Amino acid sequence: MTAWHLVLDGSEVPSREAVGNKARGIALMRSRGLPVPPAFVIPTHVGRRFVEAGGVLPDEAWSGALAGIRALEAETGRCFGGAEAPLLVSVRSGAAQSMPGMMDTILNLGIGDEVEAALARESGDPAFARDTHRRFLEAYARTVLKARVAVDDASTPAGVRAAALAVAGTPVPADPYEQLRGAIGAVFASWESPRAKAYRKHWEISALGGTAVTVQAMVYGNLDERSGTGVLFTRNPHSGEPEPYGEFLPRGQGEDVVSGEVQPLDLEHLRALLPEVHAALLAAGDVLERDAAEVQDVEFTVERGRLYLLQTRNAKRSPEAALRFAVDLANEGLTAPADAVGAVRAEHIASVLRPVIDPARRAEATLLARGEPACPGVGSGLAVGDADEAERLDREGRPAVLVRRSTSPEDVHGMIASNGVCTEVGGRTSHAAVVSRELGRPCVVGCGEGALLSLIGRVVTIDGATGEVFDGELPTRHLEVHEHPHLAQLVVWAEEHREAIGDDHPLLEIAALRPQEGAR
Amino acid sequence: MDVGLLVLHGLAVRKAGSAEAVAGVIGIAPGAAVPELAAACGAGHAIEANGTYMLTPPGRAWLDEQYPTACAGLRAHAGFVQAYEAFEVVNTEILDLFTRWQTISVGGAAVPNDHADEDYDYAIIDELGDVHERSLPVLDAFAVGDPRFSIYADRLASAYDRALAGEKEWVSGALVDSYHTVWFELHEDLLRVLGRTRRES
Repeated sequence: MTAWHLVLDGSEVPSREAVGNKARGIALMRSRGLPVPPAFVIPTHVGRRFVEAGGVLPDEAWSGALAGIRALEAETGRCFGGAEAPLLVSVRSGAAQSMPGMMDTILNLGIGDEVEAALARESGDPAFARDTHRRFLEAYARTVLKARVAVDDASTPAGVRAAALAVAGTPVPADPYEQLRGAIGAVFASWESPRAKAYRKHWEISALGGTAVTVQAMVYGNLDERSGTGVLFTRNPHSGEPEPYGEFLPRGQGEDVVSGEVQPLDLEHLRALLPEVHAALLAAGDVLERDAAEVQDVEFTVERGRLYLLQTRNAKRSPEAALRFAVDLANEGLTAPADAVGAVRAEHIASVLRPVIDPARRAEATLLARGEPACPGVGSGLAVGDADEAERLDREGRPAVLVRRSTSPEDVHGMIASNGVCTEVGGRTSHAAVVSRELGRPCVVGCGEGALLSLIGRVVTIDGATGEVFDGELPTRHLEVHEHPHLAQLVVWAEEHREAIGDDHPLLEIAALRPQEGAR
Repeated sequence: MDVGLLVLHGLAVRKAGSAEAVAGVIGIAPGAAVPELAAACGAGHAIEANGTYMLTPPGRAWLDEQYPTACAGLRAHAGFVQAYEAFEVVNTEILDLFTRWQTISVGGAAVPNDHADEDYDYAIIDELGDVHERSLPVLDAFAVGDPRFSIYADRLASAYDRALAGEKEWVSGALVDSYHTVWFELHEDLLRVLGRTRRES
């Protein structure tokens, strides 16, 4: 590829190496007829030239960027930097493979005071237009000028600009085209950031690859009653059931869903509000899942009744769902059984076979304390207040639960020797929580100042999934491999594909442990 | 602090460890720590079992009494105290980062990160890099107050380099000198030197 820019309309699907993963993904989606906001890319070869020229953008590349902007304007019917129907864009880096050190995405580029006013008129929401402006200034200052400025609801654009200028010594440009030029240069320069270079050096990745710059039209989910934003999981990421699952926030814009400040609705509300959009979304999810041969998590926005897909990626999933996805995708022919086995990790297996407290005994047990769940699992033993004592008991083969006001590195050996860890103060970021998760020890934190002192010397059972501490040793039960249909199927496949996956695969380890429970 | 006191302080920060580990915390040669630890054992301030040293309760009490005098200079050092306040701000941020490294949100529910998503992991390592780079001036300011603090910058840089290279246990692993392990020790060191208590969140 030698073009200085390429409009990603799906008429061709360029290689990862030429345009980076993100741009290739957009072109691929467009080529499948999926609704994606218009975008163009400045290819990786331009990035290499930028670096070779000592950080100067070739004139032809800038002309290419301008031509790209004209194409986005034509497709959206909007105007970059315009005082009516302004076009705002996102600018992001994209190399053939992901690595640390590359520039963060800048959203809402192309805004100034005039554009803010136009956006306020168009959305009927001046507070949104102001917030968009402010967020852009903060992001540009942080990512391009490397200047951190604090922004809150009371900040004015002039105030943020002045703060950025004071820290960086250079201003955030007021002209949208200068903003674009600055952002493109910062993406290309990030390829040479110390972090990116260190990473490539370690993995012996050639510095010749380079990054591309993808510029995409912004769409807004808060413009009218037929707008909104949300996320679709092509299957349920908690249970693994093969049913679409997701959230929709009417009149919402990107950050609103992520922030968790507003409670989104489920996808049925989208079906009721905009049935065609709902149907198109599910159909798109189906295409994306089949193309990726993986369950997808799709971010979308509906702008004035029109659906746009913003991003798709392999869905995050619970351990339970991970096993079910693996089996179902193979049974549906999207993947091969050996792939299904390859997707399973030791943590998934450990999690679904993890013992739980017998429900009948739990119902009649005495609750001694309650805190924040920090690491799931059940652990029983004599509550001890001292790490050395936990270790001593462990050497005698007696189970212990370490109970502390808080923990510190001196307690790690005691945490290793205990069946569980419980603290009075500290939350999910405390030392006890972080270290317990590393060690896989059930852990409850933040039970309250002084709440645990009376426990010492008693036998207790802690449930790290619920944050409860019970009196006495409560019996637990766990599923056997053959009782878990998806795990049992995966073990069968693992044995059939032993040669391909290697003898140390965790599924083969449990198969070896419990040969009599094979799922034949 | 004189070497004897410094070794006890290192032991208090490390909580338990070999002469080599204690020397590593305070940045002295292991050979120099051995006689000091032996003297501390002789004075009843520490005990040793199988090469691992620990403070005794009287040793801990004695050490705590020494800080106000031994660290008077640092406690009055405006640059050092200011750097500590900056450290606390970054601390809140980095603890949140460790939690997101270990736990991911699946449609609102927290599940353990299975580290299957490279993009997710690299984004967090990137954030760690950002925090690390912003911490460097703070670490420098500690070293201006007391040169021995430069050892933390070296240890954090080493953990960060390994994490950046994809050795994931060096982010928050409990059994190696991971970023979390070293950061926590630095925090503990600062709290002792400045006579502060941990702000648990």
